[in-house]
Amino acid sequence: MGFIFANIFFIITLILSASYLILGIFSATALRRYLRKNSYVKYDSLVLSPLSPKISIIAAAFNESKTIIDNVRTLLSLYYNNFEVILVNDGSTDNTFEEIKEHYELTKVNYYFDYHIPCERIRGVYKSKNPSYNRLIVIDKKNGGKADSLNAGINICQNSLFVSIDADSIIETDSILKLVKPFLEEKERKVIGAGGVIRIVNSCDVERGRIREIHLPGQILPRLQVLEYTRAFLLGRMAWSRLDGLMLISGAMGIFDRETVIKSGGYSIKTVGEDMELVLRMRRRMAEEGMKYEVTYIPDPLCWTQVPSDFRSLRKQRTRWTRGLVESLTTHRKIFFNKTYGRLGLLGYPYWFFFEWLAPLTAFLGFIFSVFLVVTNSINWPFYLLLFLFIYTFAVSLSTWAILFEEITYHKYKKKRDVLKLLIAALLEPFFYPMHTYFAVRGNLEVLRGKKGWGKAVRKGFAKKKKPIRRPSAG
Amino acid sequence: MIRFTLLLILSLLSANVGQASPSSSATHDTLKAATFLSVTRDTTEKATTALHYIFLFKGENQWLNKKNYFKKSLVFVNALIAAIIISITTMIILLVIILLNRKRMEKEEKLHQYLLEKYQSLIINYLFGNASPEEFRSIASDTYRRQVLIDQMVDVSLNLKGVESKKIQSLYKLLSLDKDSIARAYNQRWHIKIKGFRELAFMNIKDANVALYKALNSKNEILRMEAQIALVRLCDDNPFEFLSHLTSHFSLWEQITLHDLIIQHNIPLPSFQKWLTSPNPTVVTFALRMIREFEQRESEENVRKILIHPDPSVRYLAVQVAGDLDMRSTLETMKHMYKNQEYKICLEIIKSMGKMPDISMMGFLKLVIDKEDDVQLQIEATKAIKNNGEKGVKALVKLMSSEYKNYNIIIKHVLDRRIV
Repeated sequence: MGFIFANIFFIITLILSASYLILGIFSATALRRYLRKNSYVKYDSLVLSPLSPKISIIAAAFNESKTIIDNVRTLLSLYYNNFEVILVNDGSTDNTFEEIKEHYELTKVNYYFDYHIPCERIRGVYKSKNPSYNRLIVIDKKNGGKADSLNAGINICQNSLFVSIDADSIIETDSILKLVKPFLEEKERKVIGAGGVIRIVNSCDVERGRIREIHLPGQILPRLQVLEYTRAFLLGRMAWSRLDGLMLISGAMGIFDRETVIKSGGYSIKTVGEDMELVLRMRRRMAEEGMKYEVTYIPDPLCWTQVPSDFRSLRKQRTRWTRGLVESLTTHRKIFFNKTYGRLGLLGYPYWFFFEWLAPLTAFLGFIFSVFLVVTNSINWPFYLLLFLFIYTFAVSLSTWAILFEEITYHKYKKKRDVLKLLIAALLEPFFYPMHTYFAVRGNLEVLRGKKGWGKAVRKGFAKKKKPIRRPSAG
Repeated sequence: MIRFTLLLILSLLSANVGQASPSSSATHDTLKAATFLSVTRDTTEKATTALHYIFLFKGENQWLNKKNYFKKSLVFVNALIAAIIISITTMIILLVIILLNRKRMEKEEKLHQYLLEKYQSLIINYLFGNASPEEFRSIASDTYRRQVLIDQMVDVSLNLKGVESKKIQSLYKLLSLDKDSIARAYNQRWHIKIKGFRELAFMNIKDANVALYKALNSKNEILRMEAQIALVRLCDDNPFEFLSHLTSHFSLWEQITLHDLIIQHNIPLPSFQKWLTSPNPTVVTFALRMIREFEQRESEENVRKILIHPDPSVRYLAVQVAGDLDMRSTLETMKHMYKNQEYKICLEIIKSMGKMPDISMMGFLKLVIDKEDDVQLQIEATKAIKNNGEKGVKALVKLMSSEYKNYNIIIKHVLDRRIV
């Protein structure tokens, strides 16, 4: 019986590998076309144009006193003409709100608004007395989580498009120009949301909310995540966007059509995967109402975020992601192989269901089975090693493709040494899979136990590291 | 995640066949005996055999079972070995490509920069009469260098006007570079076409206008946009004539680019009301936007007419433009159309009424505050009343004392000057 299982799984693997290769090919063609088209695009026309649409940028902040001033400054100096920044203080328990209030000279205003989407009580809406900061609106509200804060921001903003961002991310100055473009190119299909590439800021030199110099992360875990992000953003999402099966716009930065979001009920506070859940809900609503729509993806780096650099933080993040994934998929299980939802139902959703949710769980069973085979001395070692080599080389070559994609697209890591470091990371990465399997299993167990919420996150800030002063040698 | 499953298969597949076979054979025997008992069991046996054929690769095909490496079929093992070799080779090739690509890019960049600087000074010398066309001939004979020269001439021409501009254009023709551009404009590949369109536009070559008109309704939005830009630059008499030929969607992005071109290059402006009757609604929206940006107030009558346009996006913009340009003759029409419009247009109507305050509209605006539940409509209606000056403020004060609805919070919001 075990042997039958083995062959069934082998066939599944072939399908998996083939689908991954097909996704890679789709990505490559879509990326090539995008880059070629983009080389003729003059974003400058949009910067000062009176015809460009007005946008609200909504950022939620919770206990981010270390970085908040710089981050708001970055947001206020984005390269776009027509925008406002709505910062939502989500009942911070440190002095985040006091810091902003003092630095940006805030005063409470008589703001009248509607709770289009339910959210925790808004204690006050603040604007600056200083006209230099007239683009800034600060909402002070009772703690309710990120999704709740974004909902509060959506209630306050009046523009038809809003950008949701993580307040602790570093935003590329031209990101709004790139994000808004798909909406300006809209034809018969209504654009309801767009996302882009998120990059890793660990080890980069950051000064006053701006990246001064890009470095490859020095620590192994963030470096492995560079590979992971590159694969996900340049190989995966690009292809899914082309296939109209995109299910996720990263919570770190994305742009949405406000009306569609409100009609869909805003961000869900019942899940920790509110970014994915929102996209699914919006898509579901549009499909059920028979409206033509699209969710687009821009393969341009839009923002930089800090990723966990230690095991514990990574575990927390990944178990949370798994919970979010499971919650989103189970909430919208109606989409599963349902042709009403088009490619989302027939391709996107099943892919995430089988390959993102179930695959780590089956892999876990595989590890247990391996142990069983070793213990009972029934393992076929030569064949085992052959299979290991196959999987290992396949995984490393996929990562090498991702490095090539990075190289020919944005070429952010300028040093030759960085490419070699990334390649070494690719060689090491497969040995970290058991760790990810463990995170996924733990996430699933947390779902079964009914765990909710984000857990505590500690912000390190982007304070520039001081170079050690070299002591003169005794000699 | 694929790799997780791959790892699972790794362990499952590596289960010893010798261990697995007796057990499956025992199951098989048991099933065989059971066939005498019921038809259902017979079916089960058939299904099991089928599974055997499919998943154990144990069909009659001798080729699959010809030889065993590691107790697995020859094909299977060879396929794995081939996949490993392909993966390793791919890795090595990709690494070499990455490293060589870096070297090539650095080298090309240096050469390109060197040539650009060299050609730029040569072109400037030519413009000031210090160089002859002959000095360019040797450059034009080499394909790569000729392209760099073309790029540089296009770049320099961006900042030239009058005599100098004519001089560089005639040099372009003298070196037969125009033929390159025309050939590119007729090329099948869109990105080469675009390059050609740009060169034609900047070098004022009108011999390929047919290709430009053809690309005007292309599905490729970048190609379409470049064709529009080139036509605006090349048609001296009527630069916007292409709008009359445009049947495809004229996106806001294209409109913004064209508007930018008009401003950057001082393109002579036509009266855009001509296109308010276009059958293409996106052309109408462009005309409306241009009417607003260039304050063509003489279009008031035509703007009023299209307030009842069948396309809601046109109606929305017409209301907005009428408000922005203070076209008061549209107020009555707006008031009458209000009740039949979608929310977005209703809100825009109230905003426009706020932009052109009129005492005669105050009753209507009060009605909006009273009857509408939407906060935004209430706020905009209150703002519109406030904009009527002293009379408006008086009306608001009176409203504040109303017992019908609590207006205080709305009025406080509207009167707070810090809220834009």
